[in-house]
Amino acid sequence: MSQSATQTPLLSPQLLAQLERMELVTRKVFRGRIKGERRSRRKGQSVEFADFRSYVPGDDLRFLDWNLYARLDKLFLKLFLEEEDLHFYALIDASTSMDFGEPTKLHYAKQMAAALGFIGLCRADRVRVESLGSSRQHAGPVLRGRQSLWRMLAWLDALPPGENVPLVEGVKNFCLRNSGKGILVLISDLMDKQGYESALRYLLAQQLDVYVVHVLAAEELDPELIGDLKLVDCEDSDVAEITVSRPLMERYRRTVASFIEGAREFCTRRGMNYLMTNTQRPVDELVLNYLRRRGLVR
Amino acid sequence: MNFLPVEFFSGFWANAAAWAAVAAVIPAIILLYFLKLKRHPVEVPSTYLWTRTIEDLHVNSIWQRLRQNLLLFLQILLVLLVLWALLRPGWRGSRSLGQRYIVLMDVSASMNATDESPSRLEAARARAEEVIDGMGSGDVAMILSFSDTARVEQSFTENRTMLRNRLRQIGPTSRATDMTEALRAAAGLANPGSTSQDEQDVQVAEPLPATVFILSDGGFPPVSDFALGNLTPQYIPVGSAAPDNVGIVAFTTRRNIERPGQAQAFARLANYGVDSVTVDVELLVNGESRDVQRVEVPAGEQVSVDFDLSDIDAGERTALELVLDRDDALALDNVAYAALNLPRPARVLLVTPSNNALKAALGTEEAIKLANTTVVEPALLQTQRYQADAAAGVYDLIIYDRCLPPTMPQANTLFIGVVPLLDTWSAGPPQGPPVITDIDQVYPLMQLLDLRDVNIIEAVPLHGGVDPQNGQSRERPPGGSVLIDSDIGPLMIVAPREGFEDAVLGFELFGTNADGQTVRNTDWHLRRSFPVFVLNVVSYLGGGRAAVEGVSVRPGDSIALRSTLPVEKVVVEDPEGNRVEVAREAQNTFVYTRTDRPGIYRVYEVAGDEPSQLFAVNLFDSEESNLVPRGEVQLGYSTIEAASDWQPARTEAWKWLLLLGVGVMMIEWYIYHRRVYL
Repeated sequence: MSQSATQTPLLSPQLLAQLERMELVTRKVFRGRIKGERRSRRKGQSVEFADFRSYVPGDDLRFLDWNLYARLDKLFLKLFLEEEDLHFYALIDASTSMDFGEPTKLHYAKQMAAALGFIGLCRADRVRVESLGSSRQHAGPVLRGRQSLWRMLAWLDALPPGENVPLVEGVKNFCLRNSGKGILVLISDLMDKQGYESALRYLLAQQLDVYVVHVLAAEELDPELIGDLKLVDCEDSDVAEITVSRPLMERYRRTVASFIEGAREFCTRRGMNYLMTNTQRPVDELVLNYLRRRGLVR
Repeated sequence: MNFLPVEFFSGFWANAAAWAAVAAVIPAIILLYFLKLKRHPVEVPSTYLWTRTIEDLHVNSIWQRLRQNLLLFLQILLVLLVLWALLRPGWRGSRSLGQRYIVLMDVSASMNATDESPSRLEAARARAEEVIDGMGSGDVAMILSFSDTARVEQSFTENRTMLRNRLRQIGPTSRATDMTEALRAAAGLANPGSTSQDEQDVQVAEPLPATVFILSDGGFPPVSDFALGNLTPQYIPVGSAAPDNVGIVAFTTRRNIERPGQAQAFARLANYGVDSVTVDVELLVNGESRDVQRVEVPAGEQVSVDFDLSDIDAGERTALELVLDRDDALALDNVAYAALNLPRPARVLLVTPSNNALKAALGTEEAIKLANTTVVEPALLQTQRYQADAAAGVYDLIIYDRCLPPTMPQANTLFIGVVPLLDTWSAGPPQGPPVITDIDQVYPLMQLLDLRDVNIIEAVPLHGGVDPQNGQSRERPPGGSVLIDSDIGPLMIVAPREGFEDAVLGFELFGTNADGQTVRNTDWHLRRSFPVFVLNVVSYLGGGRAAVEGVSVRPGDSIALRSTLPVEKVVVEDPEGNRVEVAREAQNTFVYTRTDRPGIYRVYEVAGDEPSQLFAVNLFDSEESNLVPRGEVQLGYSTIEAASDWQPARTEAWKWLLLLGVGVMMIEWYIYHRRVYL
């Protein structure tokens, strides 16, 4: 979208400086693919002592604790904590409906993905940013190390709006492509006429630490509409005829509130983290304050 | 006849189309509202939430739409209000078609009072306009203004604009009030002569009942001898309850009884307010201040004031003006005028063979003041000089005692013992002695007379000659009045003749017997009533006027002026300086009628600066000066209470409805623009 070029850059230098000192946190400890900076449940080679266990034949003799053997005349193996990398996925909904708002919800989602991805890159985590419409051929790159920041930003900048894939379809494809465990941040407006529930269930099955960031534009929360209108859906050209009146607007606000509440309840019940935000809230504030309190970053 | 059903049906069908149009208006608006549903397309991120919002609301169902649309309701309300206003709703319930209203506007002097702002007349005018506004279609109204006379300002009409215009043209007068004439004019159509002499006469007018609105302060004497009949009077009092007014109710000049030749001025002040007041009364003589007196007038009482005019020469024409220095509700009665004139004796010619009694009666002190009498022998009647004088009207009165002129003179006459040589006069054979049965004391000639002790030896009954049209003999001359009636017939008759009056006495005072000696025919000349009679003759038929007595008439009254010189016309100058020529009329009099304005009027006989006489016009009317609105008025046999809670006959609501409609329209406009959804 040409609009995104004119909009503010995804990450400001000040924000980058603040993000450098943060790291992604997960309540679950996942097994990474390669050695990283995170403690793993696995024991392995590191400087951090974990436990002792009795020697069984075949164990590497290098890890025997000879001092203990001298005192107790028994062979104990010394175990160290293994340090591994973390898989971080940012899944962006790039449907046409996300191209609304000021700034657009898509831009907001990109900013957020970039910020979180940058944190992961700084901590040598495995970062992958994808959109719901990404196919196996055009999947987002797997990034590691802070030198990959610019690749990530370039990919995000190039992500166009208008990938009108049903939410459930996009999530399903994502799960098929990425079988690994890790943190998944789904950034979407959840406005799918087929509902978001089945899509989120797919993510549950993946044993991912799922964060659902629900982005709504101010125009959606409190629309400034007057008169007799024919509302046209920008994705499927569905039409809703309304005559704006105060009771109708009250009713709409109640609908929005119940929509948000329903999503929150759905996520909370299933151990997913739900976060509702609107595009008027600055990304840095969201990441530095709000997500920090929610435990996604530290 | 009852026209109601016919009118009702014709009215109904004539209105059917209009009603249909009215009934179509509201559906038309609703229809337009459906046509108006051209929605403005707006692209939204998703209709997901909107469809969830409206799915059970069914905003597009017709009734839902109408329920939601405040603007539509406001517009329908507006149209209903306008339609309602067009139907001219009003209260005071049902009314018959074609009501008749008569508005009687009091324009008398008291209506000049300023206790109601700006004046009572304006207040009455406002009330009258309310009456006119209250007229329904088909109603007719008539406007009469009345003071001491009534004037039809506008006859019955349905045209309200015309009624209002005429109403605005009504101006105040300085006159007294007399409702009689106004009521009779108002009753003309309501109470037509209901009796028909002829049984075949079917053209007796149908009575047309009317409501009479009397807009007045009620300051007029009770109207007697009047039946309201089909008139429904409504007396609407105008004026504040306790007005403040002190007025001059009398101002006269009299000879000073103690010092003849000098005069005194008397005035009477009346206070009609509720507080006792002290006023300065200033007397102006010929426009210059002469005397000021301070008088206290207690509330509701009258106080007399007199001024000594001893230093005023009774032989001069003098204009007196009495001014009450006070600013009260009615300014009109704060000034009074009086005029002192030179004495103007009547010119009387007595033609008699010899009548010492008559000469003596004409020679009394009083008679000399009133008349310059010339006594001549009957032989003079034949001379050319007499005939020229008689034809030129040099004399005011000629008394023919037992002699007859060849032609009737241009003067009033009194014939004694003879009957004029006219077709309208005749006499029966001498009879006697007659017994006087009746005298007409109302007539000025007979005032203060008592003839019961008068004996007459022989007299002729007077008759009116023969009517040339039907050949029958008349009882009396046309227009004549019998002044003395007796058992043998009328003994004295007065009858008009071309503007003059001829009085004929049917008996001689002195007769001549067969020997040629003078003998008495009656002992009247020995009675006290005889000089009084002669004085009456001189003052009434001769028109003599004594000095000093100021002549005053009320505004609107006519005054009969007499000239000192035999002139054909005089010029009268009113207080504002307008001059009017007045031609000579009957009895050598000049009748001047334009006495609308109080003040001093000057009469000029010959061109020149010096007026020959003055007269004053004054509003001396305690009814007018008493400004307190009367609580009731007496009209004939009915007493009409003041309408306490006065309301016009019909209170229109359409103005308020239209205002309400405008208000609704403004609310609609506001909502449309501000999108305030209530």
